[in-house]
Amino acid sequence: MNILKKIDTFSANSLKILENDLEEFKNKYIYNLFINKKDKRADLGQKFHNLICAYLKGFDVSKIMLELNEQEKNIWQNLKTILNDNKDNFIKCEYSFLIKEDLNNKNYFLTGRFDAIYKENDEYIIYDWKTLNLPKNPADDLQSVVYLYCANKIFNTTTIKMRYLSIEKLNFVDVLFSDTQIYKNRIDNIIKKLH
Amino acid sequence: MIINAASNTNRTDILINEYLKLLNKGIEAENILVIVQNSKKKKEFIEKIKKYSKTGNIGCLKIFSFYGLAYNYILENWALVENSIQDDINRKISPNLCGMEVSQYIFKECIKEIDFSGYNSKTSLLHQLLRRNSLINLNNLSKEELKKRVDILNESYSQEANQAINKYKLKTIEKRAFDYIRQLNIFEFLYKKTKNSFEYVFLDDADEITPAVVAFLEEIKPTVKEFFIGYDKQGSSRLGYLGAINIDFEKFLNEKEQIIISNEEKFKNAQNILNSIRKNEEIGLDNITSKTFLKRNEMIDEVLSDIKILINNGIKPSEISIITPISDEFLKTSLLKSGFEFNFLTKNEKLNQNKLIGYILELLKIINDTQNKDISPYILKGIFIELLNLDKKETLKLIQEYKLKRDFKGSNIFDFIKNKNFSAFIKLIEIYEEIRFEKLSTQLYEIIKNFIKLEKEISKDIYKINQLLKQIYGFEEVFNDEVSNLELINQLENTIISENPLSDEEIDENSIVVSSAQKIIDYSHKTKYQFLLDVNNENWLKQDIGPLYNAWVMQKSWNKDSFELEDNIELTKDRTARTLYKLYLLGDEITLYSSAYDSLGMENFSGIDKYFKFKNEIKTKEQKPITPRKDQEEVLNYKGGLMSVSATAGSGKTTIMLLLVDKILSGEILDGVESKNIFVLTFMESAARNFKERIKAKYPDLKELPNISTIHGLALRIIKENNNYSRLGLDFDFEIIDEIKRTSILNEIIYSLGIQSDKIDLYDSAISTYKNELANYGEFDCQNRLFLNVFNAYQNKLKEQNLIDYDDLLLLSLKLLKENPDILEYYQNIVKIIIEDEAQDSSFIQQNLISLLGGKYKNIIRCGDINQAITSTFTNSDVKGFREFMKNSKNVVMDRCQRCSTGVLDCANNTVKWSNKEKYEAFSDLIMKPVDGVNLVDKNSVKLELFKEEKEETNFIINEIKKILKNDPKATFGVLLRSNFAINKWDKIFKENSIKTYKNSDSLINNPVYRICLLILEFISNPYELKITKEIAQELFEFGYYDYDAVKYANNLSEPIFLKEDFEEQFYWDMNYFLFKNHYSIYDLVYEIGAFYFSNSIHKDNISLVATIAQKISLTQKTFENTISKLREIQFKNNFSNIKFFATNDNSKKNAAVQIMTLHKSKGDEFDYVFIPELSQDNLCFNIEKYKLKENSKFIQKMKKYPKTEEELKKEIIEENYRLIYVGITRAKKYLYLSCANNYKYFGKMRETNESEIFEGLGEYIEKN
Repeated sequence: MNILKKIDTFSANSLKILENDLEEFKNKYIYNLFINKKDKRADLGQKFHNLICAYLKGFDVSKIMLELNEQEKNIWQNLKTILNDNKDNFIKCEYSFLIKEDLNNKNYFLTGRFDAIYKENDEYIIYDWKTLNLPKNPADDLQSVVYLYCANKIFNTTTIKMRYLSIEKLNFVDVLFSDTQIYKNRIDNIIKKLH
Repeated sequence: MIINAASNTNRTDILINEYLKLLNKGIEAENILVIVQNSKKKKEFIEKIKKYSKTGNIGCLKIFSFYGLAYNYILENWALVENSIQDDINRKISPNLCGMEVSQYIFKECIKEIDFSGYNSKTSLLHQLLRRNSLINLNNLSKEELKKRVDILNESYSQEANQAINKYKLKTIEKRAFDYIRQLNIFEFLYKKTKNSFEYVFLDDADEITPAVVAFLEEIKPTVKEFFIGYDKQGSSRLGYLGAINIDFEKFLNEKEQIIISNEEKFKNAQNILNSIRKNEEIGLDNITSKTFLKRNEMIDEVLSDIKILINNGIKPSEISIITPISDEFLKTSLLKSGFEFNFLTKNEKLNQNKLIGYILELLKIINDTQNKDISPYILKGIFIELLNLDKKETLKLIQEYKLKRDFKGSNIFDFIKNKNFSAFIKLIEIYEEIRFEKLSTQLYEIIKNFIKLEKEISKDIYKINQLLKQIYGFEEVFNDEVSNLELINQLENTIISENPLSDEEIDENSIVVSSAQKIIDYSHKTKYQFLLDVNNENWLKQDIGPLYNAWVMQKSWNKDSFELEDNIELTKDRTARTLYKLYLLGDEITLYSSAYDSLGMENFSGIDKYFKFKNEIKTKEQKPITPRKDQEEVLNYKGGLMSVSATAGSGKTTIMLLLVDKILSGEILDGVESKNIFVLTFMESAARNFKERIKAKYPDLKELPNISTIHGLALRIIKENNNYSRLGLDFDFEIIDEIKRTSILNEIIYSLGIQSDKIDLYDSAISTYKNELANYGEFDCQNRLFLNVFNAYQNKLKEQNLIDYDDLLLLSLKLLKENPDILEYYQNIVKIIIEDEAQDSSFIQQNLISLLGGKYKNIIRCGDINQAITSTFTNSDVKGFREFMKNSKNVVMDRCQRCSTGVLDCANNTVKWSNKEKYEAFSDLIMKPVDGVNLVDKNSVKLELFKEEKEETNFIINEIKKILKNDPKATFGVLLRSNFAINKWDKIFKENSIKTYKNSDSLINNPVYRICLLILEFISNPYELKITKEIAQELFEFGYYDYDAVKYANNLSEPIFLKEDFEEQFYWDMNYFLFKNHYSIYDLVYEIGAFYFSNSIHKDNISLVATIAQKISLTQKTFENTISKLREIQFKNNFSNIKFFATNDNSKKNAAVQIMTLHKSKGDEFDYVFIPELSQDNLCFNIEKYKLKENSKFIQKMKKYPKTEEELKKEIIEENYRLIYVGITRAKKYLYLSCANNYKYFGKMRETNESEIFEGLGEYIEKN
């Protein structure tokens, strides 16, 4: 069976799985053999994502943030300072994208969502909020690869960086755009596993 | 841009092309809004954009269904909503955009606080309110608009309904929990508050949009640069029904539309369908054909065989669709059994109908309620085998042990398994300890993680498990700890998956789609072959009206000041026209399938078949021509008007009535009379079915059969058709109370009033009498206060539970006709001729109905035989009415009896003479005459036999039968008895003497499907009891399924069959198969048993009836085991839930020489030899002096406006006794034996009794012969 016929759209997450384990990929994305699990950390992450986005959009969040507990409120106060410092450079948040790619005369698509986009001078900064820990090898992380590759297609520039920011620790790490072809090769090679 | 084009054009492609042009111009996708009809259309739209767009960045697509748009918009702008809500306590960073299961739960809680006193449908109140709420919102009705509609509909509960809806709304705000309808409110609030960012708007299927969408479009219109709209001007199938509204888009945009037509001929045909239905004309098209059947299983079999032919010819499954409004268990099970793949788009499936989910939920129940001592062993077996993967034999041993322990000590299941050394148990206990206090979602997740292997084979189950989990997460988010795990499981079990429109539906290419018409249209699902099923069922035209809502009037566009029957009919017709127009465009070859009966054996009526005509429609099957006798000929010379036919027993009345209907159908008698204008009323359901079968056999291709039913069937149609029930204040899901339910309600009432429990039957008939009296004479004062208390309590109970009884059926239909001139006119126009059988048994109300219905054309034929009126003393039948009718109509007499031998004939005529001599008015003066050369001539064919002892009488009969059988092995015998309870006694006696019998009774257990399914169920629930296993072998041997070896094998068993390893024994395999086939649903289990043992068409229909009975009972019982006990408990009842079995040609009936039944039941039957034993004075008295009136008979008189005196009553009863024996006598073709003994055993004691006067009365004449 040509799996590409069934699955032609990939996210950074699904590519990660495909890169590591073809079987796991098939089970999850083709046969849907997985059980939805909701954990507290993901919930908290989602809460902050929504709160940040509402704040960045300029909504009055003083009421909704009351849902947070004391500890979370502290985190939010600190986070808000950072967001405020950078406010003028904010462009948009929760931006979904769809990119069409060629591979041996066939198409596949990359999809994902930027948590927030900032622009400092000419440089686009793609923010990704992490609840606690930052990626260990961010430059090598498939999320960086896919996001930077796509951002390049979207903004038509190589002056892009990806910034992972830990909500709880407030530290961050940046990955600078390197090379389209390297990104493309890595992604193509993963997808070739399905051919 | 406006494109007016039907769904079979490339309309959507044109829109997509425009969309891509915009992208190519550099417009950002996030500034282009696309609104499509549903998530499937959304997917298709996106796929096409993906396909045709250039490589590189496509952008941030904003393609939504309207609900999806609302959903996303709320999430993105939630803070604005939260800031406008007053309360500070429940604030949320993001709202709970929940599914219907959550909002249904909230609504349920709100209703509890509001008093809908007197509202008759507690069961569907929730549904009613949800529907009302959704109509108000989809139509964007303002308070004033709603008020206007409340007035038009003269609604009784609008205040309560509004109160409930308001409460619900407040509660959803408090919980920040909004389902898709509620989201529309929030969305409206938001888009009015925010700036529109969409420069371009695409709208496909724009004829399906609701006023809620229109309001949004109006709001953003000033800021939108360009609209692109695709629609079909002919209108949507949802128009005026599910909230869709007709919009003049040319006016809306001030722009000319483009019209696109592809496949001109098809489009023209589709338009012809639309127009002809609107004009009430029939249409015939080459690519629409029809197939009609009597029973639904025959219809489904044919569908499957047609599918097989297509697939064998290389047609792909995806090119076929099955379209029906009735996607019930029977259809599903029958289709799935066929081996083809089906995809049911109409998912009215409850979660626990999935076996795996069912067992998982059961395990969760056990985990959350360890104190439950009532765990069903059957369920436990399923959990052990299906979830814990335990060995099957081991499981059964464990279950037996558990049962014993539980019965003695009430053992806790976890205590029980603790001591068992099975790894699965150890694991379960470990996990149980870990999760017992966790949330339900955690518990569920852990169970799946630990016990379910995620494999491809169960991917569909896993999809459903994820849906379940999603629901639970939703619940837990909204309610936190307010709802206990057990409560939550209960709510989930009863939630229907499909309610949420955002849920995705996959259409698999290798399967045949089964769907409602609406879904096919929603999905624009094109297939080469469309099979339209159940086309003569009213559900095709089902209107959406209830006591708390009216889908027509609650449309935004409703502008009339009233709502009449005519509106309902016209609007329904118009919607049907649009639906069929749209369906036609989506198919190439269309076949309409219909069956006279639905899967519950109820008559279908009033479907869409009436709009189509077909070539060579009426073909008659060559049948042996019948030459009517002279006395019969006159009936056939009928030319219209009132006619009464007095037909004696054995005069061939049914045959002549068939010929008459035949003649009417051929148009020889009356002009302009079609099938639908002919109404035949029979006394018994079985007679109606029989009549239909015979017409069907003669006209196999007749599109529509004449209306042949009992008066109750006709009454039900009048109440149901065109939503007439709403005029009676009834809810659409009203049910007719059955015997079992009625008994239980009466029991409760009688107990609470301190009346003796053995009085139930008495009160039962008193209620019926009183109701009929009320109908005849209007309100009057009943003298018996206690009875009135019972009566009122009973009526209240019915009302509370949305039930009506059999008497109500007639009363209410009469009421409808009398009080609503429009309804009366509707039926009077249809009923061009009405033929009534057994007119002597007709009740006052029935006669009233007949004269009303036939009131316009006045072609009424009533057939009967006053001499055979044998129901007047215990039903409401009114023979006087027939006598009256005979006087006022042309009377035809069929006095030739070709059945009975001359001696028997004389005996019957002598009974009349004897009665006259005794000065009774039991009979008419009709004297039966033989037909020359037909009747057996034997003057000595009647024997009167008297015995001293009971034993002598039985011996005589047995010897006589044996003797006759020796010379005439094919002879048939009828043993006719006075009462039901004697049947079993005689059955036993014959069995002891190796004479095969057939008990002719309507009891459930008399049906072989019921009997055998019940036995196997009992075996499954108790395989340890060898007696049951043995009984099964014996029963199935007698039925002809197994040979005698199976009986021998079963009889030799010394331990339960599952412990054996007798691999050569078929019986062994079959029993173990059922034992280990764990079906969560009892419907599936019964269906499987039935389909295994029964293959002929009649039985197959009864399988679905038995399965339905079992399923209905299971809803009221806690456990599988209780359900089975209940099935056994009701075995002697005549029906359950008014489900009537199809007559069987049961093998045991065919093989039996002797049929045993009551005298009453024998009417219509005939036998070579007839025995009427036990003719004592107690059983059949003819002497008014000696007759002792029963207290019960006196009691019933008190319910009458004009009670009879005791003398009158006695006389009536004795007269009926005359007719009863007359009926018995006239069953005999050759010989008749009347007998009696002087000593009978009653309840274990010998009692002396006198023989009935009949021996003297008739003896006189017989001696003379």
